Amino acid sequence: MNPSLKLATVVLIAFEISFTQVLTVNLALIGFSLIVLVVQRIHFKTLLWLTAVPLFLASALVWSLALQGDASHHFLAVIFTRMFVYVYLGATFTQTTQPLALARSLEQNAKLPAKFAYGFLAAFNLLPKIRAEVATIHAAALMRGQVLHFWSPQLYFKVILAAMNWSDQLADAMTSHGFVEGAPRTYAVTIPLRRRDWLLCGLGFVVVQIGLFVGLP
Amino acid sequence: MQRWHIRDIILVTILAIFMGVIFWAVGPLYAVLTAALAPAGLQPLANELLLGIWVMAGPLAGFIIRIPGSATLGEFLGSAVEMFLGGTWGASTLISGAVQGIGSELGFAAVGYKVYNWLTLTLSALTTTLVTFLWDYFRSGYNAYHLGFLLVLLVVRFASIFVFGGILTRLITNLLTRAHVLPATSKN
Amino acid sequence: MATITIQHLTYAPPARETPVLKDLTATFRGGRFSLLTGPSGSGKTTLLRLIAGLTPLPTTGTITFDDQALASFPATTHSRRVALLFQEPSTQFTMDTVTNELRFVLENQAVDPAQMPARIDAALAFVGIAKLRDRSLMQLSGGEQQKVALASIVAMDSDVILLDEPFASIDPPTRQVLMTKLVQLCHERHKTVILADHDLSGYDQWVDHLTVLDHGMATQLSAAATQARLAAFTPERLRLTQVQLPAPDTPQVLTSHQLGLRRGTRQLLRPQDLAILAHKTTLITGPNGSGKSTFFRALVRLSSYDGTITYRQQDIQKLRRRTYARHVGLMFQAAQAQFLNVTLGEELALSQKNGQHAYFTPDRVAAALKALQLNGREDQVIYSLSSGQQKKFQLLCMLMMAPDVLLLDEPLKGLDLASIHAVRQLLTTTQADLKLTLVLISHQLSGLDSFIDYHLALADQQFSYQAQEVRHES
Repeated sequence: MNPSLKLATVVLIAFEISFTQVLTVNLALIGFSLIVLVVQRIHFKTLLWLTAVPLFLASALVWSLALQGDASHHFLAVIFTRMFVYVYLGATFTQTTQPLALARSLEQNAKLPAKFAYGFLAAFNLLPKIRAEVATIHAAALMRGQVLHFWSPQLYFKVILAAMNWSDQLADAMTSHGFVEGAPRTYAVTIPLRRRDWLLCGLGFVVVQIGLFVGLP
Repeated sequence: MQRWHIRDIILVTILAIFMGVIFWAVGPLYAVLTAALAPAGLQPLANELLLGIWVMAGPLAGFIIRIPGSATLGEFLGSAVEMFLGGTWGASTLISGAVQGIGSELGFAAVGYKVYNWLTLTLSALTTTLVTFLWDYFRSGYNAYHLGFLLVLLVVRFASIFVFGGILTRLITNLLTRAHVLPATSKN
Repeated sequence: MATITIQHLTYAPPARETPVLKDLTATFRGGRFSLLTGPSGSGKTTLLRLIAGLTPLPTTGTITFDDQALASFPATTHSRRVALLFQEPSTQFTMDTVTNELRFVLENQAVDPAQMPARIDAALAFVGIAKLRDRSLMQLSGGEQQKVALASIVAMDSDVILLDEPFASIDPPTRQVLMTKLVQLCHERHKTVILADHDLSGYDQWVDHLTVLDHGMATQLSAAATQARLAAFTPERLRLTQVQLPAPDTPQVLTSHQLGLRRGTRQLLRPQDLAILAHKTTLITGPNGSGKSTFFRALVRLSSYDGTITYRQQDIQKLRRRTYARHVGLMFQAAQAQFLNVTLGEELALSQKNGQHAYFTPDRVAAALKALQLNGREDQVIYSLSSGQQKKFQLLCMLMMAPDVLLLDEPLKGLDLASIHAVRQLLTTTQADLKLTLVLISHQLSGLDSFIDYHLALADQQFSYQAQEVRHES
């Protein structure tokens, strides 16, 4: 399915179920997402992790709601399952979509200015360097007898200086590689936006609407 | 009005990734806090206490890249990065990112993107608190809490956002201003 | 083929009063290989960035490509005229893989997608990196990244190719390949190549013209004068008359067992046992990109390694990080990585507070600052210092910490002779008084003789201690 459309569908459904309380729809979405994930051959470990985290947090949240509030059992069940919908539904997107494909699709199909798509990618691909930089800053501080914590301004100060440096370098490199903001570009890889994508998107949406409509009291 | 250039977009994203890497290190603390507070039914407090770190990318980006929309974009791109790094919240991360970003953006918008000082950061902390709280009111079922507990959560959330998005951000931007990488005056 | 003419160019970077380039006039002839040289800070990067159009031209001065002003070309055709290959290999790509980067470059030039595969294949084949096509850019070595950067420029088919110190961290075989390709681009495809390098060694067989940049002005040498100048440039010889092989019973401070290092898939160091000797000064030499800095990073637990490293018989992985960091310190090659504060005064205060204050009394610090010509600058912002001043100040800050073992990665880089002298003096005295263990990586070799006890050479993925005088190879 087209990445932009897929993302829009997933986000819109997640948004909608945040404001509605229909247990059956939540359960149906969980079931549907799980099927998609299994069909896409998700790693068992990933699935376990995607289950353990919401289980832990949702349990804690529901427990708190039960103790500190006056929620009905139905409401607690909705909140509990909602967490799983977020995570599984989100995974159906992230497990099947690469950042590059999304960026290309947003540029081509959603007409996002190329500078946003490629600026994001350029920074995203720097991730290993960014991680190493944080470790280096911590180590450099220790060698001077200073422990940096996540509340130390100096940690962020150094991080921002590095970020400014690299964004200058990357922006220059993009310019040197012929990137011009707002200039027409061709596409080496075309991301198709087929009628089938619209149909799937529309169908999914209609089904969820009907479910919500029927399920609402 | 200033336009977004490729350099700003990259900077905002790198900043967001940096914040994500730092926040990653706080993950265990969050888990421990949750586990410790959950039995007493105080789990949301863990969330409230640490929320300030997570939403810091907004005011930082807003203060450093003085272009309308930078606070929103900083938070939003941070959530996009988190989503692709296998953050467990999947697509709802994007929504939260947008909500938090808009929350902190309102503070900068309130002063017309002209003033960059304590007032701006305090306003931004306030708007972030209100907007994100409203979001959690629906999303996380906060509407089911007793009013007293709800107020405690609100106060703790504001305190956390003010400490990280206000005080810490101010300290950081002070260092940047003194190092001459940010303009010294509050007007751009 | 494009001839570049620069006339009366004066340029001062923002927030700096003194111009870097002063009424500079020069011509770089089309289809030729020109080498641009000059001491660090002489404005080589500034000049290349102006030619590349990355820095807007000041009102005084013109740069023309075959008599046409650069600014008169539409932005979209810019990359066909000129492209710059940067010093730092890892931050010049937008995409994740080699092929995708080349696609990006061609998309930017609005090339018909149907033509792209052929052009990408041709560019990769020209540089000889067809086998890297699907590799992730971030996992390539610096040398491989520079090759991809060159392939991008070849794919763009830019008339003028600018290179800013492209070999700074590149191993000699890769440098050789890149040089061959650049000369080929000149001779066969009539590209104009301008390469900036402060080190003139190994260019004599390749370069047509030498342009020397000094005090903001350019001097262009004739072909004959260029050859004479390059021939006269002999790489510094390492003269170590006092080094010896370590005696078997010399106390060791850092000991590694079957230590192996790699970068990505490439083996930098084959597993070997190695000892760093206590209270002595050891010099490490080896070609660029051979893994010297990686070795230092492994010693301070910033890089992963195979085997074990022990510090005074304790596995360094089992020591608390904050304890270990006080015993084994690293003076980073990039000076700014060392600093945590804004002004020199604050930075000194930090080292004073946490360092060896019994030895580094205020008087001694003041004397050291004076010797390094950094006195009276306590309120200055560190980031406004020149790179040489930063380097000297960085050294002082780390010496004041006086860790048991101090690793120094290129401590003399970019320093003038007077500064080198002062730094060596400071190192010698402190080492003698505090019985520190010093380990240096240095390409700057002059005047190190009396100061070095042991010489550890890295060659063919193996470290070995050297006896007596050995010629330095890179």
